[in-house]
Amino acid sequence: MRDIVGAIDERIPRPNDFTSPARGTRTAARLGILLGSCIGICFVTGLWSHFQYTSPGWLPIGPDPAWLYRVTQGTHIATGTAAIPLVLVKLWSVYPRLFRRSRKQGIRHLVAGGLERASVGLLVAAVLFQLVTGSLNVVQWYPWSFSFRATHEAVAFVAVGALLTHLAVKLPLVRIALRNPVDDRLSLASDGPSRRAVLVGAGSASALAVLLTAGQTVPFLRRVSVFGVRDGDGPQDLPVNRTARAAGAIEGATDPAFVLELRNGDRTMRLTRAQLEALPQRTHRLPIACVEGWSRNATWTGVAIRDLLALVGADPASVVRVRSLQTRGAFSASELPADFAADSRTLLALQLNGETLNLDHGFPCRIIAPNRPGVLQTKWVTSLEVTA
Amino acid sequence: MRAARVALGALGVAGVVWGGWLLRDDGIDRLQSTALWLVGVVVLHDAVLAPLVVALGVVAVKVLPRNHRALAAVVFLVWATVTLAVANVLSGLGGKPGMDSLLNRPYVSAWLVLTGLVVVGVVVTAALRARPRRARAPHP
Repeated sequence: MRDIVGAIDERIPRPNDFTSPARGTRTAARLGILLGSCIGICFVTGLWSHFQYTSPGWLPIGPDPAWLYRVTQGTHIATGTAAIPLVLVKLWSVYPRLFRRSRKQGIRHLVAGGLERASVGLLVAAVLFQLVTGSLNVVQWYPWSFSFRATHEAVAFVAVGALLTHLAVKLPLVRIALRNPVDDRLSLASDGPSRRAVLVGAGSASALAVLLTAGQTVPFLRRVSVFGVRDGDGPQDLPVNRTARAAGAIEGATDPAFVLELRNGDRTMRLTRAQLEALPQRTHRLPIACVEGWSRNATWTGVAIRDLLALVGADPASVVRVRSLQTRGAFSASELPADFAADSRTLLALQLNGETLNLDHGFPCRIIAPNRPGVLQTKWVTSLEVTA
Repeated sequence: MRAARVALGALGVAGVVWGGWLLRDDGIDRLQSTALWLVGVVVLHDAVLAPLVVALGVVAVKVLPRNHRALAAVVFLVWATVTLAVANVLSGLGGKPGMDSLLNRPYVSAWLVLTGLVVVGVVVTAALRARPRRARAPHP
């Protein structure tokens, strides 16, 4: 048995079998700083989106600035994309360490070595998990049975926690690696790439990946971003994230008997679309922005929510429950916090870019508010109810 | 330094524990699926992707002239990692029927053009580097 184990062990490579001088601590430490920065920004912007979804009382998020959600979520996807080349090259630079054997004997060293491997394993697993599930969410493909949103948030904490622990363990090595020059004569003389070349390559790949995808949220990159998930086009010059058919909203939305119901306690008012059109209209240019990193500005016309609240005697700064006609999928209702309801830019939109709302954009009427996640800009609205 | 490391480590452990705590209400099906993906991505990298890159390196050392290896390695690094960064749109997976504003670019054609440009760029650079330099005129 021991012979068989020994024979297998002989066939598994040793760290010294990997001869490229570009691998190792000096490369890994520098890549780690770049990668850690991307992960940190990605974590904070991701967390920001969760706060915007859940509106925690201790962090009042208001409608200003209108572009904040757009910028944070565009940055979230851009830093996540930038992290993919960096993490791959970082793992390449330390791959030989996977094959190291402990020279020290004894149960204590075995346990310590095992713990270190387990912590690195957790870090790699959590970071790769986040990047893979995040990039599949962007194309709306969910080949798993967990909830993407909840699990992506939970594993983000695991990833950042494991990263901080890893940094605590490696800090002395990182300091030494950063004090040494990137390259030395040995690596420059070799026939493989130098450390500097690998670092420049990883940075360039990272920047290129962002450039080729960020056009879905950065307008002037639209033509360059040939791998962008959306080219920015759609009905009425705006992309659609969920069609009326997918949401099961066609029948309700096209019913000629449609009425919008306004409720404030026991006061109720019903308005047809024609009656909504007869109310004072406001026009604002506001972005629609999604957690998947795409966003686009558009011109919206409709009735301000605060004007509708006045019709049923409600304070403009009321919390409003918005319900949709949709019969399928998540977010069929949303809650408009008081700050948003009171803002005159928050509309029950009837027109988009000068035309009657397209069915896929929420006809007969939809919510559009500044600085709100796209899924909370409820489409095919059927009722507005004052809840507080 | 020691205090900073201990604080970082403690904060890190707290983050990991909090992340695990957030999953406490998940049923066994969801937890199994999460565990499968956590382990799966590591296995995919460590047992498939990384050995493949090592194998390509071994082949490159045998096939490529010594003075072209560094250039080829860095170009491969950029091309391969960018390809993996956009593998989600290249896969042809995702999207929904009838949703024309998602995944609406010719991704595979764009990738073929990018790959073609990379190959042409490497070949031209290699050819220029292989050209014998003109002997300089001797100084008077």
